[in-house]
Amino acid sequence: MRAEARAEDLLRRLAPQALGALARRYGHFDMCEDAVQEALLEAAIQWPVQGIPERPQGWLITVASRRLTDQFRSEQARRRREATVAALAPPEACFAPSPGEDAPPDQDDTLTVLFLCCHPALSPASQIALTLRAVGGLTTAEIARAFLVPEGTMAQRISRAKGRIRASGLPFSLPPEPERADRLRVVLHTLYLIFNEGYTATTGPDLQRGELTGEAIRLARTVHQLLPDDGEVAGLLALLLLTDARRAARTSADGALIPLADQDRARWNQASIREGVALLSRTLTCAPLGPYQVQAAIAAVHDEAARAEETDWPQILALYQLLERLSPSPIVTLNRAVAVAMARGPQAGLDLLATLDTEGQLAGNHRLDAVRAHLLELAGDYAAARNRYRAAARRTTSLPERRYLESRAARLASADE
Amino acid sequence: MKYMLMIYDNPGTREAFFGEEGKVLMAEMDALMQELTESGELIGGEALADPSNTKTVRVRDGVLAITDGPFAEAKEHFGGYLIVECERPERATEIAARWPNAKLCAMEVRPIMERSGGEL
Repeated sequence: MRAEARAEDLLRRLAPQALGALARRYGHFDMCEDAVQEALLEAAIQWPVQGIPERPQGWLITVASRRLTDQFRSEQARRRREATVAALAPPEACFAPSPGEDAPPDQDDTLTVLFLCCHPALSPASQIALTLRAVGGLTTAEIARAFLVPEGTMAQRISRAKGRIRASGLPFSLPPEPERADRLRVVLHTLYLIFNEGYTATTGPDLQRGELTGEAIRLARTVHQLLPDDGEVAGLLALLLLTDARRAARTSADGALIPLADQDRARWNQASIREGVALLSRTLTCAPLGPYQVQAAIAAVHDEAARAEETDWPQILALYQLLERLSPSPIVTLNRAVAVAMARGPQAGLDLLATLDTEGQLAGNHRLDAVRAHLLELAGDYAAARNRYRAAARRTTSLPERRYLESRAARLASADE
Repeated sequence: MKYMLMIYDNPGTREAFFGEEGKVLMAEMDALMQELTESGELIGGEALADPSNTKTVRVRDGVLAITDGPFAEAKEHFGGYLIVECERPERATEIAARWPNAKLCAMEVRPIMERSGGEL
């Protein structure tokens, strides 16, 4: 088991590098990606038994190159059968790399692979799937299980994404400098979505989904190592660490959601909190401010309160005001309303919610009703709070949220009588 | 978000599918299925047997009662479903609108409950 875990860690770190080396040498990102998957599978079987090769990276590249050669040949044969021009493959000489060529490349291609997987022409679902396979080294079956869809559906998303990349004729290189910042934003958002998919999972059949948080953190860590000076990369990593620190406390044994104020803070992961806070403090002093850093700062203020009553709400409110300026959205305003209520009293929060209502962007969103219910409850208007909790319970499409909201409504009903 | 697209039939839809226009309707359905498969949006789906094959099961005061039907006296009945995963709710209604039953009878689009829960 130990050897297996060690081999798996190594494989998943090497996967995008091997893919980069192959794509750089042969082009055809889509076919290279298949070849690397096959090489990973072979390694996952062989390495734990026979030991990790002396030059694991070279081993992977060699085996993947052979698989790629097989693919090119069968593709050529297919094309010949169809009597079409076989213009796909590079010269035969490229197929069998000489032993000297197996040396790991000087350049870490992980970032290039990541940019390609998170290309804006792909749908978010495809970006996520391709990133987890090509950069994370997960199999299609593992990704399908984590996202609760049939393997065939996930395979289709991956092959469609690769088809798009092939059709777009994108070169295997980093995006040009003027586009780089925007493209990095897409990469970070994809990692954030992967994290969230795992973080919001409750218990039972969803346990495997929880591993997605670890994978997102691992990938964010990799990007941070490659781009140590980027404040938003560090901000995202800090946000994920500071949020993940609370994961064990956010659900009960039976999968019920526990709100932040009621969580057992002794179960928060202090090592993650320390790492997140240290990273964030370093970053805030030297990088330009961005939304991930501010969200991380909000998470840090929550995490540093030993008891819910000790939460520094005025500071959280100031941070939400900052976040709203940097990246305005109705959801940010909704969260600010909670901070306003906690810092200045429930009525001030309800007044802010009223302005949201008239804008109507959140109309029909259960979170608006849930927040309003919470603030009405704080204000002592239990009958109105109960109605809002019930409205939110009807609107949510999440089973654990519905259960929580119904239980709040029921508690107020009995308190009322 | 995953959605169930509930397909409703009435006595007329059967005639439409097997009548003169049937081939056209089947082709529309096949094309849509292929599109959903290739896009990675299709999660699953089944067609149900005629409602006359239905058994209705009830337990009252511990007593089991199984009855046949309901039969076709109902004007509309649930005839099958698709499960799709879409980026936006508008996409789910767009797919439903293109399923032939939308013009012959009706389609219902209902979100499927998730087992995840957001931050509270």
